[in-house]
Amino acid sequence: MPPEAGSPDAPGATGPVIRVMVVDDHPMWREAVARDLTEAGYQVVATAGDGAQAVRLAPAARPDVVVMDLNMPQLSGVEVTAHIVAANPAVRVRVVAASGEQDDVLQAVKAGATGYLVKSASREELLEAVRRTAAGDPVFTPGLAGLLLGEYRRLASAAPAGTGDTPRLTDRETEVLRLVAKGLSYRQIAERLVLSHRTVQNHVQNTLNKLQLHNRVELVRYAIEQGLDD
Amino acid sequence: MTFETQMWRALGVYRVLALVYACLLYLRESGTYAHPAAGWAGVGIMVAWTGFTVLAYRRPAGRSWPVLAADLALGAALVVGSRYINDIERIEAGALTLPTIWVSAAVLAWAIKGGPWAGVAAAAVLGVANVFERGAVTAENIHNIVLLALAGSVVGYAARLIRVSEDTLARALQVEAATRERERLARDIHDGVLQVLALVQRRGGELGGDAAELGRLAGEQEVALRTLVANRDDQAAFGPDGDAALAGSRDLRALLRGLGTTQVTVSAPATPVVLPAPVAGEVAAAVQAALDNVRTHVGPAAQAWVLVEDEPGGIVVTVRDDGPGIPAGRLDAAAAEGRLGVSHSIRGRLRDLGGEASVTSAPGHGTEVELRLPRSSG
Repeated sequence: MPPEAGSPDAPGATGPVIRVMVVDDHPMWREAVARDLTEAGYQVVATAGDGAQAVRLAPAARPDVVVMDLNMPQLSGVEVTAHIVAANPAVRVRVVAASGEQDDVLQAVKAGATGYLVKSASREELLEAVRRTAAGDPVFTPGLAGLLLGEYRRLASAAPAGTGDTPRLTDRETEVLRLVAKGLSYRQIAERLVLSHRTVQNHVQNTLNKLQLHNRVELVRYAIEQGLDD
Repeated sequence: MTFETQMWRALGVYRVLALVYACLLYLRESGTYAHPAAGWAGVGIMVAWTGFTVLAYRRPAGRSWPVLAADLALGAALVVGSRYINDIERIEAGALTLPTIWVSAAVLAWAIKGGPWAGVAAAAVLGVANVFERGAVTAENIHNIVLLALAGSVVGYAARLIRVSEDTLARALQVEAATRERERLARDIHDGVLQVLALVQRRGGELGGDAAELGRLAGEQEVALRTLVANRDDQAAFGPDGDAALAGSRDLRALLRGLGTTQVTVSAPATPVVLPAPVAGEVAAAVQAALDNVRTHVGPAAQAWVLVEDEPGGIVVTVRDDGPGIPAGRLDAAAAEGRLGVSHSIRGRLRDLGGEASVTSAPGHGTEVELRLPRSSG
């Protein structure tokens, strides 16, 4: 949400330096992102050219934020996200995807990514996204909101009404998510719905949390079923 | 194993069987020969040569012309030699040669190696040897020569056919492998080009001025190329070869994504939004009209967002801009003035599809065009 860029304070000024890992199979892109982040005061603790390398490096590099390309050979961004988040739930993964990779983005978000950025995002958008990701603030793009809306509808139509464990959005959450998907900033949404900025943020965060929780429960259930069946 | 290798193996089997036949015949006739010991020597030579050729013809290097020439020469020599080790009277009475049909293996070898004419040539050589052995041209001679020439040409023709079809098959496999490799390369190249275009767009935007224009162009090309690639995959999934129920259908997301630019953000579910192709086309045209409207009334730099929602009741597509919005009341006035002509065409399209279009606007929140299309049963 570029309109509410907030105070452009240097990330290192207020606390410990934010450690970032950049994962991308394209060297030119990887270096450009790493350089932008370094210039902006972030500490790029590792760069990886493929998914396997990223999973290997992450425990030692201990990044706070991972900026990762979704489309990589061998181990995909989705799998790497799942690995990294499983190893250390405190790591925040920001997925960078090209438009047209929507399904992968959704899978990555369900696997624990904290949001995504399009490849064509500007330097400022990238830095802002990393800053807010590090602060634990999910940066919702309209594209991600559209994906989540679709996913909740898919889940609702797949499960009969009244089934307890299917995640559902409240009417208010749906309303907020739709406005995000239509490109409104949190400030504009707060204004339109007569809510506080914080409440809008919470609603958005909730939509993501519910889906990730559901995904984790499903994975555990799947594992148990497999274990019992064997 | 190639077909050709199999033919050479079959020839080996034929030669061994022919050898057994020749041996049995000689066993029965050896008593009538003028020089039975020389006859046994001839049989020994045939056994040794059969063993050698069966082994030699297994490898391509062993099927060389010198070996084949020796094969034929040995056969001819044994035929001619028959005249000197058998009783001359019996020969003139029409006795069989020592190697009998064993020599025809050499003709078949020539045919397999060199085609029908080589087979006929080899048959001719043996024919001359036969005539010399007999000392005269007889009906029997001619009969044998014709049979040999026929066998040589037929086998030679078949061998050539097999070789040609094998080559064709190999070439087809090669083309297929090359195509697959080319597609893989194209994907890699596309990926690389898309990355570079995205990077140019990013850097250009930061540098400003002319570079920003270059960046914007790069961004548009990125979207265009990505749509092309995505549409190709989409067509592969929904093409005539795809699911019959989906033939004639289009994924609305793919069409609308094609409208995305650096100023237009398209958001959609992760799952396909499948509509009959003409309906999807009409909806996309309505969205295009709405975006044109934004460009005309808000300005060329206006940002717009397209949201596709697939609800149980139908499809909802929303087009919103970040313009100043239209004050309440002004909307009707604008419609009355004919300034929302494009909106009328949007409404018309949706009405034809059995849906509806509504325009909402508030100052400071831009203008929203909502297209609703019920899921029809047909």
